[in-house]
Amino acid sequence: MSSEEQDILKSAVQEFAQKSLLNNLLKVERDGIDDSIVRALATQGFLGSRIPEKYGGSGIDQSGYLVVLEELATFSPSISALVMLTSSVFAGLVGDMDPEAVRRVASGEAMASVAFDSILEGNTTAEGLKESGKSLIGERKHILNANADYLISEAEGSGSLYLIKGGIEVQEEDQVLSFRGIKLGTAGVNCSTCVKLADDGKERLAEVMDSLDLEISAIALGISRGALQKVIEYTKVRKTFDKPLKDYGPVASTISRLMSEQRVLEMALHNQEIDEAKEKLMIKILAVDLAKRASKYALQFHGGYGYIEDFGVEKYYRDAMGLSILLQRSRSDNQRLAKEIFGEKSGYL
Amino acid sequence: MDFDFPEDIVIARQKASDFAKKEITSADAQAYDKQEEFPDDLRKKAFELGIVDYTNPWSMLVTIEELCRADAGLGIAATVSLFGAEVIMLFGSDEQKQKYLGSVQTGEKIMGLAVTESGGGSDVAGIKTTAKREGNKFIVNGSKMFITNGSIADFFVMLVRTSSPDGKRHHGLSTIVVEGNLPGFSRNKLSGKLGVRATNTAELILSNVEVPAGNLIGEEGKGFYYIMTFFNISRAYVAAQAIGIAQGALDRILSHLGNLAKSGRSEEITEEIQFLVADIATRVEASRLLTYKAASFLFQFKPNPTLTSMAKAYASETAVFATEKALEITGVSGITGDLERFFRDAKIMEIWEGTSEIEKLIISRNLLKETSEGN
Repeated sequence: MSSEEQDILKSAVQEFAQKSLLNNLLKVERDGIDDSIVRALATQGFLGSRIPEKYGGSGIDQSGYLVVLEELATFSPSISALVMLTSSVFAGLVGDMDPEAVRRVASGEAMASVAFDSILEGNTTAEGLKESGKSLIGERKHILNANADYLISEAEGSGSLYLIKGGIEVQEEDQVLSFRGIKLGTAGVNCSTCVKLADDGKERLAEVMDSLDLEISAIALGISRGALQKVIEYTKVRKTFDKPLKDYGPVASTISRLMSEQRVLEMALHNQEIDEAKEKLMIKILAVDLAKRASKYALQFHGGYGYIEDFGVEKYYRDAMGLSILLQRSRSDNQRLAKEIFGEKSGYL
Repeated sequence: MDFDFPEDIVIARQKASDFAKKEITSADAQAYDKQEEFPDDLRKKAFELGIVDYTNPWSMLVTIEELCRADAGLGIAATVSLFGAEVIMLFGSDEQKQKYLGSVQTGEKIMGLAVTESGGGSDVAGIKTTAKREGNKFIVNGSKMFITNGSIADFFVMLVRTSSPDGKRHHGLSTIVVEGNLPGFSRNKLSGKLGVRATNTAELILSNVEVPAGNLIGEEGKGFYYIMTFFNISRAYVAAQAIGIAQGALDRILSHLGNLAKSGRSEEITEEIQFLVADIATRVEASRLLTYKAASFLFQFKPNPTLTSMAKAYASETAVFATEKALEITGVSGITGDLERFFRDAKIMEIWEGTSEIEKLIISRNLLKETSEGN
């Protein structure tokens, strides 16, 4: 996609978000992403933006996809994460194995969920779902977007990766910090219509998640930009000691430096000549770090108002932290980066 | 120099720690956080068992630490019902002390301090709420924002403007006791806070509220100084809250790493993680030393605002740092447990009772002043 086309797409996403999301952002944080938003995302082609057209998606290229993720994240990191979960993680894992499931998810007819906690934290194994003949039965924790029609999870013991089609009953929410729009939860599973996606689930999940460095960077940069836009607007109008906050050196220089980092990383993210895995990983590590710092300062400079949900700033602080835990393999990333830099296994002690 | 606490304070800490372990469970903390509900039963129990004892400030300091180590929302809610009492203790009349402090010291009543307004948090002298004297009463008009205990307090120590500033903005301010049930006084509970959700926070609106003139605390026009004196005390207690949060985060990191080691996953405790643990523990210890030093000056009635601001700012930043790193170290297990709440709770430490930015200004201005005075 050319840079002109990217700009057009960016405007289209912003226009959609202003019209369809802006007034619902607080509701998304409180109650989750409702069906009307999912349908609107699907109708616009954003939900399945990276899914090939043959599976009912929009089939846009990666440069356009990154624009969609970043712009959506400036409004709602949860919605952007849902798009990535649908377009990249679910469709990436299922693909040709069940085209109908991918088509239904891309169209918003059905919702997708994935449990990949086993690859986020060191050497852990997925627990809860046991194979019984052709069925999977049990209770699975830490499901991202638990309230869904499809679930991708490893089975306990064999570690095989399955697409679970139905028989999913959400039981409780596991965490309330981040991505409240899509939630992380526990579900009871009793499914006889499962499709085995891979024998080594962990390896396959890691392969897909590690291929999403730029996608996660886009969400991170959307979070930091959303937070910085808010704080710039606020510090222009909020006065203390009769002067706008922006007139105070520590405020202005902190925000200006963060904006500089933002701009440089956005240039890197949308530079289509970036091809090396090493550079993509570098962008991700820096972008996630920026999201955490930018959202923290944005909240701080809002004072007490930043601490309450109405001002829409605290969600960036929560989601930036959640991004680094729920969607990023931080420890593994650090070792991947060290390996890229040193040319061999490094930094593991 | 002896760094050991006297025995009565050691006992007070142990008592608070035992109380926290028994009464502040993870499940309770999670439930109150979710419901944004004030734990009045816990507060009353803390008074009944003598856990909260405002007659002994050192005991109070270590108690706050221990309760916030278990959970900041519940810990603060259980210990903050006398918020603002020091203004009456130090500057109020005997009659006011008798009328208002007796019932809050027994836990029977709750009080609050009402200073901040929607137009300015850090700029205390910029408040707009007025109290005009009419005969033997004040007519109070205005509003207050982010007031702790706002919708549950029986009365407030309130900063109001009683006369126009005479060229200096902080002149013409006074403190008065305003009871919460007066006609024209309404309160709106604020919900949707990021953290410390078990504490009660509200907006207060005052429309022609009639307050007896006898409720003026100390001298008219001295309110700004009284509040600054109070902040110098309350900031030490906020530092204790922050230390409790940071220590609580460290406890949970060590427990997590211990479990990794027990389950044969020691190789995951990399040197990078070990360095972080060392860094957090060092900062917690440094926060304690700063806070105890500031408190030592304070509780001997020779306050050192520079030290108090250092303690408050440093302990608050430590709480934020510790909880952030705790989540990074513990990953999914941390974010699905207590630590995510600690992370949300910690951030308010850098904001309330003087933002970190204000504390840094106090520190540097005091140092520059001392230098210019040749000290």
